[in-house]
Amino acid sequence: MAVRARTKSKTRRLAYLAAPYLVITAVLAAWEFAVRFNGIQPIFLPAPSSILKYLVVMILDGSLPYHLSITFLRIIAGFAVAGVTGIFVGVAMGMSRLAARLVDPWIAALYPLPKISLIPLLIIWLGTGETYKIVISAVTAFFPVAISTFSAIRQVDSGLIKAAKDLGAGVRQIQFKVVIPAALPGITSGLQLGMGVTIIMVVAAEMIGGSSDSGMGYLLIHAGQVMETEKVFAGLIALAIFGAVITGVQKRIDRLVAPWVEREH
Amino acid sequence: MDIVVENLVQVFGEAPREVLALDRVSHRFPSERFTCILGPSGCGKSTMAQIVGGIEPYTSGTVTVGSDGQPLGTHSVMVWQQLNLFPWRTVIDNVAFGLEIRGVAKPERNERARRLIASVGLRGFEQHRPPQLSGGMRQRVALARALIMERPVMLMDEPFAALDAQTKIVMQEELVRIYERSKRTILFVTHAIDEAILLGDEVVVMTARPGRIKEVIPIDLPRPRSQEMVNTPAFGRLYDRALHLIREEVLNAMKQQEAMVG
Repeated sequence: MAVRARTKSKTRRLAYLAAPYLVITAVLAAWEFAVRFNGIQPIFLPAPSSILKYLVVMILDGSLPYHLSITFLRIIAGFAVAGVTGIFVGVAMGMSRLAARLVDPWIAALYPLPKISLIPLLIIWLGTGETYKIVISAVTAFFPVAISTFSAIRQVDSGLIKAAKDLGAGVRQIQFKVVIPAALPGITSGLQLGMGVTIIMVVAAEMIGGSSDSGMGYLLIHAGQVMETEKVFAGLIALAIFGAVITGVQKRIDRLVAPWVEREH
Repeated sequence: MDIVVENLVQVFGEAPREVLALDRVSHRFPSERFTCILGPSGCGKSTMAQIVGGIEPYTSGTVTVGSDGQPLGTHSVMVWQQLNLFPWRTVIDNVAFGLEIRGVAKPERNERARRLIASVGLRGFEQHRPPQLSGGMRQRVALARALIMERPVMLMDEPFAALDAQTKIVMQEELVRIYERSKRTILFVTHAIDEAILLGDEVVVMTARPGRIKEVIPIDLPRPRSQEMVNTPAFGRLYDRALHLIREEVLNAMKQQEAMVG
């Protein structure tokens, strides 16, 4: 295998690199062809070229940037609330046995509940405004953040704590100079999980019956209701790219916050 | 600073499944001497070092380090088998950790850390983090982090056990050099006979569990010590004596394990 890889010619290497793009192009071409010449109704499956056209139009008329930025702000708000409260509760549970005992039954009871089922209750309590969208996404994201933070703090190598103690550190110094930095990689991976569910919940909340007149969830549900399938596809593409960008930025921040961790990428 | 251990008993676990780890161990580790504790694995030698360092509580007996009545750990610092370096801190921040805790200002603690880093041969690696370093280099960081405390007693719990053979030889020579220059009281736990003889002024041989002191072998090899002494007849005689003692205990330990399994 290794010998073959080494003797591989330049053109084969090029083919290897280009292969995924060729396949994507082929699929798109087949799609375009199938829609145009086999009479598939655009309201079921629009051609890639018309989706692209809609995408460009929606960017130029400002509707896509508008809805996307509103969704983005809601995600940031929900994520910030979940991040702060989740880290705080997770740290408290990790540092104090009493806090862990007090909080544990609540987490055990509420964590398995699908958070989306809380939407009717939250609408009764909060109405369908911004608060409800931020609360539903924050509540959902709180759990992975709090649980990851708690377990990261619990799993801190006891040898590091003993060593710090031996070098003269007191309880407070151990907590701030050893336990929290040692738990940072675990906390950031909890934040990544939290971001994932925040995106889902904000878009879902925006979709729920007339609760919104803005945001990507609204855009998608509204376009769907009037059978503007091209708009639906354009919205999905925008959301996919948006999600990938957020994940990429978050990974970069992780690397800045915890540069000592060996990562796969 | 003398370390005096009297009738030290350590019991792990609860009755009826308790394990007697140390059984009435008494010994005086002389001030400014290098004492090696040699024994088969599971004999309680690491436990003894941890107790002397105030890291582990003990069941009964008395342990005193120095004569000022300060709690254990005040005058000693531990070099750990697993090193326990802080991976998020750079080399210089690892080494300066103890001074930072003590509240020494940053310019001063960095200056002192830098000097120690240079003295263990790591100049230029101040801003690296432990995961970027080789095993031997990490070991040097751990040594510097302990040395900066300037405590009179240094406890070393099989610090070189995880190193490859060549790195180990270099580190042993480094430690000999540091000891001969700075005259600390060192308690060095090991299961390697040649290491114990090469480094120590005396070798305390322990029995298999429960740990007792089997024999104390004074090492009269001249200082400065060097790796070449391994080939001298005097070294050979000491090695044979220790080997004979240890072999008995390893066989005992194996018998105990077989008895537990069967």
